[in-house]
Amino acid sequence: MPWHISSGKTGFNGKEEKMGPLAPNLIISENTNFLLAFFIGIAFGWVLESSGFSSSRKLAGVFYGYDTVVLKVFFTGAVTAMIGLLFMSLFGWIDLSLVYVNPTFLTSAIVGGVIMGAGFIMGGFCPGTSVCGAAIGKIDAMVFVVGIFLGIYGFAFSYPWWEKMYMAKYLGEPKVSTKLGISDGLFGLLLILVAIGMFIVAEWAEKKFPREEY
Amino acid sequence: MDNNTKKEKGRKYLNPYLGGVLLGLVLLAANFVSGRGLGASGAFKSVVVTSINAVDKNAVNDMPFMAEYTESHGTSPMKSWLVFEMLGVLVGGFLSGAVAGRLKLKVEHSPKITSRRRLIFALLGGIFFGFGSQLGRGCTSGSALSGMAVLSLGGFITMMAIFGTAYALAYFFRKNWI
Amino acid sequence: MKPLKLLALIIIPLGIIIAAVPADRVKHFRLTPDELLQEAGAGMQFISPDVVADMLVQKDPSLRLIDVRTPEEFDAYSMPNAINIPLSNLLADEYTDILNQHTYVNVFYSNGSVYANQAWMITRQLGYDNNFVLEGGLNYWFGNILSPEAPSVTSPDEEFAKYDFRKSAAAALGGGGVVSTEAEAPAIKAVKPPVTARAKKKPAGGC
Repeated sequence: MPWHISSGKTGFNGKEEKMGPLAPNLIISENTNFLLAFFIGIAFGWVLESSGFSSSRKLAGVFYGYDTVVLKVFFTGAVTAMIGLLFMSLFGWIDLSLVYVNPTFLTSAIVGGVIMGAGFIMGGFCPGTSVCGAAIGKIDAMVFVVGIFLGIYGFAFSYPWWEKMYMAKYLGEPKVSTKLGISDGLFGLLLILVAIGMFIVAEWAEKKFPREEY
Repeated sequence: MDNNTKKEKGRKYLNPYLGGVLLGLVLLAANFVSGRGLGASGAFKSVVVTSINAVDKNAVNDMPFMAEYTESHGTSPMKSWLVFEMLGVLVGGFLSGAVAGRLKLKVEHSPKITSRRRLIFALLGGIFFGFGSQLGRGCTSGSALSGMAVLSLGGFITMMAIFGTAYALAYFFRKNWI
Repeated sequence: MKPLKLLALIIIPLGIIIAAVPADRVKHFRLTPDELLQEAGAGMQFISPDVVADMLVQKDPSLRLIDVRTPEEFDAYSMPNAINIPLSNLLADEYTDILNQHTYVNVFYSNGSVYANQAWMITRQLGYDNNFVLEGGLNYWFGNILSPEAPSVTSPDEEFAKYDFRKSAAAALGGGGVVSTEAEAPAIKAVKPPVTARAKKKPAGGC
């Protein structure tokens, strides 16, 4: 092909624009990106552990009402990041078209989610939190990690059976706001209101289903 | 619960809303720096691919799922963003636990069940989660949390499936927790 | 104050602000007048007619020719597979997705290059990428591509190569006044494009 198609904002003379995301805009090198990944991971692990996500009993609590930390942290986190991204884009600090949006494969998203849900209620962990739990010495977390590896091996070796399901119903990378026909910002506001509503219910539930210190 | 008990148990956990805001900022930083969100299960996959490679270099070619992974990751499957991030999570979790006095080797379980039962379910849970995360192209961190932050439809769907299923099955596993 | 109240007090107003701001402002990026002048001065908007001819002959699917003249002129003659976006209508909503995208190479053309240049100026100022101007416009296209002049005997080899290429291209494109003796596919691009944008890698994500 005799012509290169620009996939983003290049500014004049091909000079990169000084905006995020840093790595895709080639403002930082790949190795710097990996180094920062390490530090971001440290922050991630610290926050998770400090919030109590290293305890399987706290994590499972949201499903029985006695401890809704998962709900609060999870949704506050998602909403904060979402608003943060939209504001950064508003100020021209980040180019949202270069930010990865998870692809939607309808069938496998649902089936995979169901299986993970079962894993969650059985094991009381998810991959990220299990590493946190293992880091502070929780043996059940370590066993969970072993289980994860076994599960992945199992999937890889039996992949041919699932391949069709895995690839089914590819919808591209749609955003929820687009599908609903509203703007990103409006969806953000709606999500915030829904989250606050859930938090109110959660606090009520904690009062109603108390458990002793665990 | 009196003050003495609290002191024995070490520092209390962060207020969950504060924790959530901090988590959101970490996620924001990840997106700003690397253009992608946080994740976890992908790092596990890298380890699995590397181990299979180490045992038998050609085995990977026979497994289409692994093969397309090595294709996109070239030289070393371990040199991936998520692997570095998860190493950080390990360190960060350890540090936080150390500072708060929560480092202790133990099996955490409800007083109503045995350790053995807890560990069996932990293993089963891990297997299910590992399998499901590959099928669902992500776990709660990568698909649900990061996906929601960028308004991805797939992320939302996966999140609802995970939480919905867990709620639906909660009754059957209640003996393990309450 | 209860933490939840504090959180709600902060985050709901932020949500209202972000919801109120029109989506366009949240995404767009515009060039400053300086940058625009630099690009125009460097001639970065031009795409050589030889390159376009080659793309047409190779049936390159990424090429999209946009005729910015009036519909009447468009109906009288238009380039192969061209679409018509009259300059006066350039900013209509229906064309935004055509002009602001990262899949096709849009090439504006008009009789000379004045209108095509204007179209480029406007879209470039809006921050759109991948829009170019056919150098020389239709006038040059007719005179030099579709009916190429044979170079004089003393011309350098390059000129002959260019002429051969244009002859075959013209024949392939149904040009006027040329009898093609060979059915060779054109192999040479005579003019190099001014600058190519570095391909930015969108991150591979997932969990």
